[in-house]
Amino acid sequence: MAAYFRRVLLGAFAVMPVLALSPLLAGRALAAAPSAATAKAFIDSSGQKLVSIINGAGSTSQKAAQLRALVNNIVAVDQIGKFVLGRYYRVATPAQRSEYMQLFHQTLAYNITTQIRAYKGVTFKTGRVTSGPEGEMVSTEVSRQGQAPAHVQWVVDTVGGQPKIVDVVVEGTSLRVTERSDYSSVINDHGGQVEALLSAMKRQLSRMQAG
Amino acid sequence: MGIVMKSVLPLLAAGCLLAGCATPPPQSNKAAFEAYQQQNDPLKPFNKASYHFDNVLDTYVLRPVAIGYIDVTTPGIRRHVGEFMSNTDAPAQLLEFMAAGKPRDAGTTLVRFLVNSTVGIGGLFDPAGALGYHKVYTDVGLTLAGYGVPEGPYLYLPFAGPSDLRDATGIPASIVLNPTFPAPPSTGLTIFNYGSDALSVVNTRAELHGTISNIKKTSLDPYATFRSLYRQHRAAELQDINKRDVATPPAWYSAAQRKAMKHAEYDSTN
Repeated sequence: MAAYFRRVLLGAFAVMPVLALSPLLAGRALAAAPSAATAKAFIDSSGQKLVSIINGAGSTSQKAAQLRALVNNIVAVDQIGKFVLGRYYRVATPAQRSEYMQLFHQTLAYNITTQIRAYKGVTFKTGRVTSGPEGEMVSTEVSRQGQAPAHVQWVVDTVGGQPKIVDVVVEGTSLRVTERSDYSSVINDHGGQVEALLSAMKRQLSRMQAG
Repeated sequence: MGIVMKSVLPLLAAGCLLAGCATPPPQSNKAAFEAYQQQNDPLKPFNKASYHFDNVLDTYVLRPVAIGYIDVTTPGIRRHVGEFMSNTDAPAQLLEFMAAGKPRDAGTTLVRFLVNSTVGIGGLFDPAGALGYHKVYTDVGLTLAGYGVPEGPYLYLPFAGPSDLRDATGIPASIVLNPTFPAPPSTGLTIFNYGSDALSVVNTRAELHGTISNIKKTSLDPYATFRSLYRQHRAAELQDINKRDVATPPAWYSAAQRKAMKHAEYDSTN
């Protein structure tokens, strides 16, 4: 009898750490890539919102403000920014990091604003979903007036409990990989100084604001 | 590989002599050395010089011509011109797919060429695509890649644009593989060649007009951005070819087996 109890107790002790960890494990499972259906529904609804803003009424500046709010909501801008800075994120000082993030957000916002007119009349339809190493990849066909339809893949991952876009792949080229080589090339050409990238970004922003 | 290196070494040497190779940073500077290796661009001085040459050429000649061309053509016309050009490239691609040992793509290319050259009026239209024979693409560089030839250092060629050692090696072969190459010389053919080459360049430039001006506007270092885009695009093209390279289910397989095989490897909608 005593032996039996001892076995039960030992068993309970053996299981306890696992039980204690289970909320963590469940949390981890939730933080993993969203299901294919979730990712597709997310891209569908985000795309509808985007199209309705671009094709809707209102001045360009109103649309730009709406688009910026939407993009901050559906795109993991901070995560992408960190990826783009790559290895230099570790080298950068905290002040440089926060300045970089601010500039990255601003650059994205300006890029969106300048694209609005080009995307007037845009339509899209979602297609297959495949699992990639970075998350679920949702294929879409984006059609613009007077242009051949483009095949665009949206990489969706769970960020902060919500599905978010972490990358855009056009014709096999990833946006964040391309950005990373662009930015790292600037830093490389200036002897590995992150400061050089920041000033180049500032110059570009002022050029965009002027033009 | 030996032949490849032998034929390309003079080219490399010429590039170095003309503009000088980039000096790699000392290995003691770990971060800089890693960055140098990752860029894989030892001919950067030569490449940048040809990039600037092409840029000037583009700004003063190609871009204005392309804008004029966009003004006088419709998107439909540009698409049909593009389809005509890719149809004239089909015989070369058929040979390349066969040389690469990709029978499924070779078959697709053959059917596309036969259907589009006849029903599609010399390739202006793409009825084969509507029949389910979607466009496939290869070239000599991708064929070499299929044999495991590495891409080698990056190259930016004057007139020809972004490339790498492997793809540049394939350029002479692709000229020979052009269907007009073995044709007997005649004035008509010469005129056709110049005309179609010029049209092809202008049409391609016009199709890329929005993309190119966007990249130049938004990137901090357009040279590095084009380099990255070229490499990623080539890798994706190679991946597409390998993805389609699957066996046809044998006729004696049961329906379930055929379905399982198809499902695992090949998706005809892609």
